Amino acid sequence: MEKILVGLKRVVDYNVRVRVKSDGSGVDTDGVKMSINPFDEIALEEALRIRERGEAKEVIVVSIGTSEAQQQLRTGLAMGADRAILVESTTAVDPLTSAKMFLKLIEKENPDLVILGKQAIDNDNIQTGQMLAALWGRPQATFASELVFDGNRAKVTREVDIGLETIEIDLPAVITADLRLNEPRYVKLPDIMKAKKKPLEQISAADLAVATVNALVESAYEPPQQRQKGIMVSDVPELVAALKDKGLV
Amino acid sequence: MLIEKLKSIVGVEGWVDEPAVLESHLTEWRGAYRGKTPLMVVPRTTSEVSELVRACAAERTAIVPQGGNTGLCGGAIPDSSNTQILLSLARLNRIRSVSPDDYSLVAEAGCVLADVQSQAREINRLFALSLAAEGSCQIGGNISTNAGGTNVLRFGTAREQVLGLEVVLADGSIWDGIRSLRKDTAGYDLKQLFIGAEGTLGIITAASLRLFPLPRDLHTAIIAVASPGDAVALLSDLRSQLSDQIQAFELISDRALRFVMRHIAGVRAPFAENHPWYVLIEGSVPGGQKGFDTVLMNTMDRGLALNAIVAGSLREADEFWRLRHSISEAQKSEGASLKHDVSVPVGRIGDFIRSAESAVQKVLADARVVAFGHVGDGNVHFNISQPKSQSLEQFGGYAAALSDAVYSVTLAFNGSISAEHGIGKAKRELLRKVRGETELSLMRAVKQALDPANIMNPGKVL
Repeated sequence: MEKILVGLKRVVDYNVRVRVKSDGSGVDTDGVKMSINPFDEIALEEALRIRERGEAKEVIVVSIGTSEAQQQLRTGLAMGADRAILVESTTAVDPLTSAKMFLKLIEKENPDLVILGKQAIDNDNIQTGQMLAALWGRPQATFASELVFDGNRAKVTREVDIGLETIEIDLPAVITADLRLNEPRYVKLPDIMKAKKKPLEQISAADLAVATVNALVESAYEPPQQRQKGIMVSDVPELVAALKDKGLV
Repeated sequence: MLIEKLKSIVGVEGWVDEPAVLESHLTEWRGAYRGKTPLMVVPRTTSEVSELVRACAAERTAIVPQGGNTGLCGGAIPDSSNTQILLSLARLNRIRSVSPDDYSLVAEAGCVLADVQSQAREINRLFALSLAAEGSCQIGGNISTNAGGTNVLRFGTAREQVLGLEVVLADGSIWDGIRSLRKDTAGYDLKQLFIGAEGTLGIITAASLRLFPLPRDLHTAIIAVASPGDAVALLSDLRSQLSDQIQAFELISDRALRFVMRHIAGVRAPFAENHPWYVLIEGSVPGGQKGFDTVLMNTMDRGLALNAIVAGSLREADEFWRLRHSISEAQKSEGASLKHDVSVPVGRIGDFIRSAESAVQKVLADARVVAFGHVGDGNVHFNISQPKSQSLEQFGGYAAALSDAVYSVTLAFNGSISAEHGIGKAKRELLRKVRGETELSLMRAVKQALDPANIMNPGKVL
């Protein structure tokens, strides 16, 4: 393989307790820790391991977002990616637009493999990888927990509802990473410094000339209803009575 | 008579005398102290505590207050006479009020530390006290022992978090000193007497606590260093470079880390290669992640740090902290350990560890020193693990000489024989040795004035 393209999305850190802005216009990100989407980090780790095994030559990380996403790309470079591309967009991008933008980059870079996280933990759409494969007209292997390459083919173990499924696909292809694929490495400080010298190309979203259909319109955000306090019942009849009282049986 | 009276004060759900249930309250978690009690009372309100103490005072019966029982010096365990009443604060656990603009909250003594922290987080504030036992220790115990922990460098000990106290005194009367003032010079600052008194002067039932703004942009890293001396130099350097925004600076020896890797499930080594010492650092830095990285790199360039890893996410930061918080647990799996919770002036930590290690090795060449601690505030946990070549009995034979060696070096460095664990039963003798007569008689005078009948946790501290 020559090139692997990896998507890195900037999201609110997994461990942050997300708060809705008081006016309901979105999620409060002021002063909130932002990180690489954890599944994207796994995707990158896998790409790096493939390259370190000598099965690929170059790993390119791509992010679509505001200029602040440079921070996540720099982290990706510090982990070991060779170069980075930021598609700068000041507005939120839905999965279809995102897939179309990736396709433009694919046309330019001709990668042999695209690895994305199986989903981003902010909107949980689980769509970009699948849409990209369809638009590109290439195979997809989603929810991957193990990857083995053999020439121009990849054997992918997928996490499915009933267990594991192994499929073989032709490259180039889109693979999306699941949690058990690997454990991403820690970033060493000297590597962070070296990463500053690695190329980070910035492209404006408009330059990619992707027709955006705003199929999704966000109208309002609200926090989920608070869980109601439980009650203790002393025996089964009391339980049944309580359930009946709530109209649940 | 008294027992029945105490039972009636707290009602059927407020007392325990079954040995099986009492067991965990009569043994310290490391098993070093065991006691007996005819009754444990678990009051729900301050006025119940007051009535209980009044009843005990009338009969001159001793009371031992207990929080989460996570202490290490026997301070919360009754003696073996089977006469001392154990008073658990566990059900006195309400958050009475929360004031975001006042940056304070009022918590009852039995609130678990982690719950106080999360209550503060709910209103976007920080309750700064943090320590390994925070999931089970209680705020009353934290204050009574003037607990330290990992945030002392920036926010101070438990003492600095207390704005006011409510205390049940030895005669059963209630002193309501719940205030949230930062400035208050009206008379003696009485709350200071009860902080760190280990329940020997009165029973703390509630506290008004200081909150801070939640730190923004907190960064966590593990830095490999060549020696504790270098760690101290690194700290000094970073404090000035980061305008004192360092919250935690924890030293971990390679042996301590190897114990953790060996015995704790689900942890991973920070570096592929071994280094002699590590520092876990957490700070909030102007300029965000970039600023933090640049400052750290600067220290590496000047040879103060050998290598460093930076947490890319909060999950990784948690992993780093887990390494630090697992040391005591991992050490348990390596056999017996002699623990010394000492403090020395920060600038001398490097020399102290070197001197103490050689003093220990003179006593027992195979002794395995496990040193770690909150270097930022001068606190070193200078623990000694049982040598592989020795049985528990053999090692036990050296215990007194080993501890003597550690404490003599500590005193020679102008340090303290108890940094954050307190005196309890464990260090009473030692306290008499290290404090002068003037200081000791002042302590006795205070005790005499507040608890003339000596019923508040007798046999502890003094």
